[in-house]
Amino acid sequence: MHIAEGFLPVGHAVAWFVVSTPFVVHGARAVIKESKEHPESRLLLAAAGAFTFVLSSIKLPSVTGSSSHPTGTGLGAILFRPPIMAFMATVVLLFQALLLAHGGLTTLGANVFSMGIAGPWVGYWVWKLNAKLGWSRDVGVFFAMALADLSTYLVTSFQLALAFPDPVSGIAGSVVKFLGVFALSQVPLAIAEGILGVLVFRILTDVAKPELQRLGVLRSPEKVAA
Amino acid sequence: MAHGLALDHAAWASPWRERSLRDKGVLSLGLLGSALALPPIPGGAAVALISVVLLVGPIKVGWGRLVRVVWLPVVSIAIGVATVAVSVGWSSGPTFAITPEGLRTARDLAVRSLAATLALFTLACSTPMIDLLTGLRKLRVPDPLIEIASLIYRFAFGLIENVGEIRRAQEGRLGYVDRRAAMRSTSMAMSVLFLRVWERARRLDVGLAGRGYEDSLRTLEPPRIRSTAFLVGSLVLLAVLIGTSVMWGVLR
Repeated sequence: MHIAEGFLPVGHAVAWFVVSTPFVVHGARAVIKESKEHPESRLLLAAAGAFTFVLSSIKLPSVTGSSSHPTGTGLGAILFRPPIMAFMATVVLLFQALLLAHGGLTTLGANVFSMGIAGPWVGYWVWKLNAKLGWSRDVGVFFAMALADLSTYLVTSFQLALAFPDPVSGIAGSVVKFLGVFALSQVPLAIAEGILGVLVFRILTDVAKPELQRLGVLRSPEKVAA
Repeated sequence: MAHGLALDHAAWASPWRERSLRDKGVLSLGLLGSALALPPIPGGAAVALISVVLLVGPIKVGWGRLVRVVWLPVVSIAIGVATVAVSVGWSSGPTFAITPEGLRTARDLAVRSLAATLALFTLACSTPMIDLLTGLRKLRVPDPLIEIASLIYRFAFGLIENVGEIRRAQEGRLGYVDRRAAMRSTSMAMSVLFLRVWERARRLDVGLAGRGYEDSLRTLEPPRIRSTAFLVGSLVLLAVLIGTSVMWGVLR
């Protein structure tokens, strides 16, 4: 669930645009560099972007009986690194706003910060930490995707709480309120997204091993031999 | 899913599709900015009313389609507004209350957010995404970025149709009969979907490489109507809207 169109006051909407812009510009430069050095990556990036977009139209069952959708940015961060995901998430959020009526243009800066910056960076750090600890790849993918999803909604709750502090308990009370509402659907959803991410990553390692090696996600045979 | 396709179908079918992006952009973004910046009553309410008139009038969305596309944001806004309306306290364990201040904030928020959503729809229901991407190219956004966004759009629509087909087939095999079956069916659908988009990207790469694809996929751009009268009319409408809202605040 992203912040809806017109939900943030003007000052907050502008501030989140200002905060997110450097990350998106940096990501856009990384995308241009990648597509110039490896033109075939353009289609790979587009496929990943389309997959992320379509994920948002797949409803997952949740504990409350309602349904919600995965973010898919954790997997993208593992494959393409967080800077590229900042740009990709911006495109996906723009499409979601204009094609699925989900999110909005005035809240794009805030939604990019939560889904395109905070989520991917958390997912990527978890993936790297898992590699350092020497745990299995499946564990790394699961936690990277689940925590990328959870951190996205954690940041969204903070953004909403900053904009609408509770009249009685202030920002802290408001954070608890929004976290409570999101937790009902997002905690089970994050677990589901982690499990689905493991399945998709296993398929990827079967069908696209050379690409994953070139992206540095999997170790190439030469490096293993060395 | 249906509401997503409904938005795109509305954009392709709208008589305003022929209008230039400049003309529609001034009107829609002007309404969107007004919804955000003006007081919700009367400014936001007026933006909502004008947007509905435009959507069911010249943009020809139709009431049925409008209801289909607006229900999802309305539910999203309602959840957020309800959360803002309820106050949480910690005096002796968690307490919940509805304060006049909370109610006032919630009311203003509901009007502003609904008005902004309807204003955005005036653009989304009259301008296909591909026209917006062409507009970005004119604003000198680098070609590789436009190319990737265009490819995402092209891939996404094929995949959304696939999602519907897979879902119908799985439902026919009782794939969503309980939570466990739904989880299994969803994971299978995601895996199949990923394989399809991967395969499509590979085939497109091979096909385009054979045609000498190097930097961008340029296509012919159909002529668009640039109307000074439309532009002036939009600016007058926005000026009247802003002026009336400001006067209302001064006179009250």
